Amino acid sequence: MEIITKKNRTRWQFKMTPARGIMLFLALAALAVVVVRLIFGLGATTNLNDQWPWGLWISFDVLLGVALAGGGYGVALVVYVLRRDRFYPIARTAMLTSLLGYVIVVLGLLIEVGQWFYFWKPFVSWGHASVLFEVFWCISMYTVIQFIEFGEIGTKKIFRGAHKYIKKAMPVLLIIGIALPTLHQSSLGELFYIMVGKVDPLWWSPLLPVFFLLSSFFVGAGMIIVESRLSERAVGHKVETSVFRGLAKISGGVMILYLILKIGDMAVRGTFANAFAFDLQSVLFLCEIVFGCLIPIIIAFSSLGKTRNGLLWFGILTVSGVVLNRFNVLFTGMGGYLNRFGGSYFPAWTEFIVSLGLVSMACLAYLFVVENFNVLGHKSDKAKKEEQVEIKIYPSTATYEQAGK
Amino acid sequence: MEQKKKKGKNLSRRSFLKLAGGTGLAGATLGLTGCGQMEPEEAIGGEGWMPAQYNIPASWPTQVRGRVPIDPDNPAIVRDDRKCVLCGQCIEVCKEVQSVYGFYELPIKDEIVCINCGQCIHWCPSGAITEKNDIDKVLEALSDPEMTVVVQTAPATRIGLGEEFGMPVGTNVQGKQIAALRRLGFDVVFDTNFTADLTIMEEGTELVQRITGELDHPLPQFTSCCPGWVKFVEYFYPDLIPNLSSAKSPQQMLGPLVKTYYAEKKNLDPKKIFSVSIMPCTAKKFECQRPEMVDASKFLNDPQVSQDVDVVLTTRELAFMIKQASIDFHSLPDEEYDQLMGLGTGAGAIFGTTGGVMEAAVRSAYYLVTGEQPPEALWSLTPVRGMEGVKEATVTIPGAGDIKIAVISGLENARKVMDGIRDGHAPWAFIEVMACPGGCQYGGGQPRSSTPPSDKVRNTRTASLYKIDANAKLRNSHDNPEIKQIYEDFLTVPMSEKAEELLHTGYVSRAEEFDAKKPEDYLHEV
Amino acid sequence: MAKAVLVDIPKCVGCGGCSVACKLWNELDWDPYGNMKTPKDTAEEPNNGLWPEEWTSINQYDLDKDGETVRRYVKTQCLHCEDPACASACFSKAIQKLPEGPVVYNQDLCVGCRYCMLACPFDMLRYEWQKAIPGIRKCQMCPTRVANNMEPACTSVCPTGALKFGERDELLAEAKAIIKENGYIDKVFGEEEVGGTSWLYISDTPFEEMRFRTDVTTRPLPSYTDKYMKATPIVGVGWAAVLAGLYVYNNKDKDPLD
Repeated sequence: MEIITKKNRTRWQFKMTPARGIMLFLALAALAVVVVRLIFGLGATTNLNDQWPWGLWISFDVLLGVALAGGGYGVALVVYVLRRDRFYPIARTAMLTSLLGYVIVVLGLLIEVGQWFYFWKPFVSWGHASVLFEVFWCISMYTVIQFIEFGEIGTKKIFRGAHKYIKKAMPVLLIIGIALPTLHQSSLGELFYIMVGKVDPLWWSPLLPVFFLLSSFFVGAGMIIVESRLSERAVGHKVETSVFRGLAKISGGVMILYLILKIGDMAVRGTFANAFAFDLQSVLFLCEIVFGCLIPIIIAFSSLGKTRNGLLWFGILTVSGVVLNRFNVLFTGMGGYLNRFGGSYFPAWTEFIVSLGLVSMACLAYLFVVENFNVLGHKSDKAKKEEQVEIKIYPSTATYEQAGK
Repeated sequence: MEQKKKKGKNLSRRSFLKLAGGTGLAGATLGLTGCGQMEPEEAIGGEGWMPAQYNIPASWPTQVRGRVPIDPDNPAIVRDDRKCVLCGQCIEVCKEVQSVYGFYELPIKDEIVCINCGQCIHWCPSGAITEKNDIDKVLEALSDPEMTVVVQTAPATRIGLGEEFGMPVGTNVQGKQIAALRRLGFDVVFDTNFTADLTIMEEGTELVQRITGELDHPLPQFTSCCPGWVKFVEYFYPDLIPNLSSAKSPQQMLGPLVKTYYAEKKNLDPKKIFSVSIMPCTAKKFECQRPEMVDASKFLNDPQVSQDVDVVLTTRELAFMIKQASIDFHSLPDEEYDQLMGLGTGAGAIFGTTGGVMEAAVRSAYYLVTGEQPPEALWSLTPVRGMEGVKEATVTIPGAGDIKIAVISGLENARKVMDGIRDGHAPWAFIEVMACPGGCQYGGGQPRSSTPPSDKVRNTRTASLYKIDANAKLRNSHDNPEIKQIYEDFLTVPMSEKAEELLHTGYVSRAEEFDAKKPEDYLHEV
Repeated sequence: MAKAVLVDIPKCVGCGGCSVACKLWNELDWDPYGNMKTPKDTAEEPNNGLWPEEWTSINQYDLDKDGETVRRYVKTQCLHCEDPACASACFSKAIQKLPEGPVVYNQDLCVGCRYCMLACPFDMLRYEWQKAIPGIRKCQMCPTRVANNMEPACTSVCPTGALKFGERDELLAEAKAIIKENGYIDKVFGEEEVGGTSWLYISDTPFEEMRFRTDVTTRPLPSYTDKYMKATPIVGVGWAAVLAGLYVYNNKDKDPLD
């Protein structure tokens, strides 16, 4: 599929494959559900109820989306602030994923809230006592900042005039762009701290913000590994094993810290008995800790972490672990309380469609951006050749680009 | 100056902002500054209304407030919350006229005290309170071809039903009522006036036996034909239960007779008889469901025979059925009751008003004691007529001497007399009590009149009943040939073993179900 | 200054006048099937009989007391906390505590995130799930009436004195006197729960048997997060400063990244 816009003579390309077709279908289906949601309301499209005011959308799209997209700020910290330059090859993809993730989160939030057209109200009414106020500010500002950060790449192709200004502002943007997510990742955990006595003691703790922050940091590495392997198949961009291994080690280190804090927290609050009660809560909690934390640590610091497949497993387990953790905090952790008088919640199919559709949109957007902007950095020879061909066909573009530089 | 100051005070920040730029701008300004304390007017709700009696400063007492509690399980009375306007009339009638609400201690135990009289229905201005609708049960029985549906009509329904069809208050529509019932598909139409006469025979005999000492039960004897009154005694005066006549109410006498006497005569399967009664009363719905009211089943020793009276419909429900069936009530011919239990005397007819039972009883008591027909004077016993709450009279019966009697309607009046009896003030031999002021003709099941409950309507309806009596060929219960026949063919004599089994009953104390207030606690309250 | 309501549970006879008053004053719709629901039914509902159009519900509990079955009616509605978690959870200040006592909601400020519903320690908030433009619904404690020195609609109609409206401290004293006099359970629910509520309950039967959350903390819930919120700007700025320092330090002798 090729679209040529004559105005700026930029050439856009997007290859169609069966997998992309499915994603496109899901995205369209999700859009259809969103239309129904906007006309008929949340009751028509979700199984949310007064016992379960938060469900799949908020847990998947917000708690999880934000965490999974959290890789961006972690890599930015490691690469740009700490200057561990060997991770540079993955920096831009990680930040792109993060940007797309946040865009999806914001879109998800817009359909999730009841009066979406009033999304701006907190900016003016200033409910600063609310943890959500903090989350709201940080997420919205961070999304804007990420857009500008991405603009550094984007303006190489469009709105070229702005490029030099963005380039200059990059250090400031990067620092704010790391500080903001640190705050709201932890705040997402703190959200649940006011629900005293409602969340299972296995998850409810004064350290909730710390746990959310650390896990959002270590899941970043897992997410980068998984998505790099996926995009490796999709666009043929290969990242070296040593980069992954390095990431896994940093991530593993944070996991160890997380685990120590978790055990310490349990010791202080005396919840070991709950953890080994082997009821639903305990089993899911142990799964989260063993498969999402312990085993990844072992992989990261053993010979398993030297193989590409071992590292892929590290990624998969880490990501699944955090997915499970976020679901646990909301569903498993609150289920006992919210269902005590017979309440119940299981997502409606429309909720699944929207969540899958949003992810599909993000993937499609990722692929589109990767194929059209210099995100992956070191382009393959094939891509370079294509660029040269492009220049030959559109000499005016090339000269303009040169003139701009 | 003073005025100006006041005005300035009333102009709040909010109203100023409203003046300055409309609500939207005010909201936006407050919102933008982020320091706006919300004003009460900005909250959701508060757009509706409340009756004026509640829109007063919190420190002022509200005289009339709230509403009477009605249990969802109440067998007689229901309320549609959607129509309730919280006027407080139901609670007033329950408390001030019937002395039920407010005469028990809180907390309640497991019972919402209610005597099912239905006076609250008449007082309710919005029609929120009604009888519990049982029409469907009757329609179901009517549609069953194997079922013989027998219906009885109370003395007072014939002078009330016409009002539902726009006739003047008190119009006697006895004949049209029978015709309508037949058009609706009822197989047999009997008259409760017949069992009213039977009640007099049983209750009168009992009274005579109490007076002569033949029966070791205390005096005064209380009438027992009003189920609201009976329940009231069971609740508040369980110690006076022995004073209640053991004779059942006319409705509950006809019930078992239909399934025994009538079934025997007509060779019908009692299990295939469905017994309906049309009553001016909501408490009758409760009465027919009393667990002991299954004497036909007991007598026949057949648990498959249903309760003595299967369903009670109020006069209003019958009117609704007639309207629903598109029967032109006005053009109906006057028809006659079915024979066997369809003949009532004038004495039976006046059961429908306060004093009527007493008057009928005195006529027959005279006969039972002296063996002679009562004199003309007893055919118009004026001291017990009229709407006064408590009426007293002395009747001289040769052989029995002067008998002091009392007639009461409205339970607040009854309560005063009962408290007196408890204190030893009991000069009477016989006391008639009707729960509803004015008796059955203004019972909870009668048509709601165009005016609030008033003695004008009560007197007109009552006059119609006295007219039926005055015009009747037979005016004494003991003269009813069908009564003579039933004793000859079936019951032998009043208070025979068979009569005791089918026509008499016992009562239960309900004192355990709640804590009644003591007189010293409610007397100073009122 | 702050007004409150004392609910004397044993004095309630379940007439339901209060819930009708609520409907009238707030112009709430009648659930077409609502009239068929009995206080027993609503007591068994997961949401305690409260719906967007039912801001208060009279729930019947059949309890065993001294070997006897007794029925008790509990009027259920928002308890109007002294320091409400819902208000602190609201990031757009759509829920606020008025100085007179009511905790009120303004839909014109609401984004619809429903965090307040989860934050509420008594689960009293309801949402208009069936509407395209939904809002939170809950008892407002008739703020315009209370601000004008009138009783809330519900308490104004109570015929038995089960609902008493007045100054909170006076009602607390009265509640304790009633408890002593009648041998009730020695607890005023709402005196200390989550730092105190404007609706106070006294009872002669155990609160936990009537779905009261007796295990709730006595600490105001907003106090759980306010330190965090106060520290956030400082931590944020400090952390940004550290990052800036590290950035400068680490980039000192290196080529800038592309």
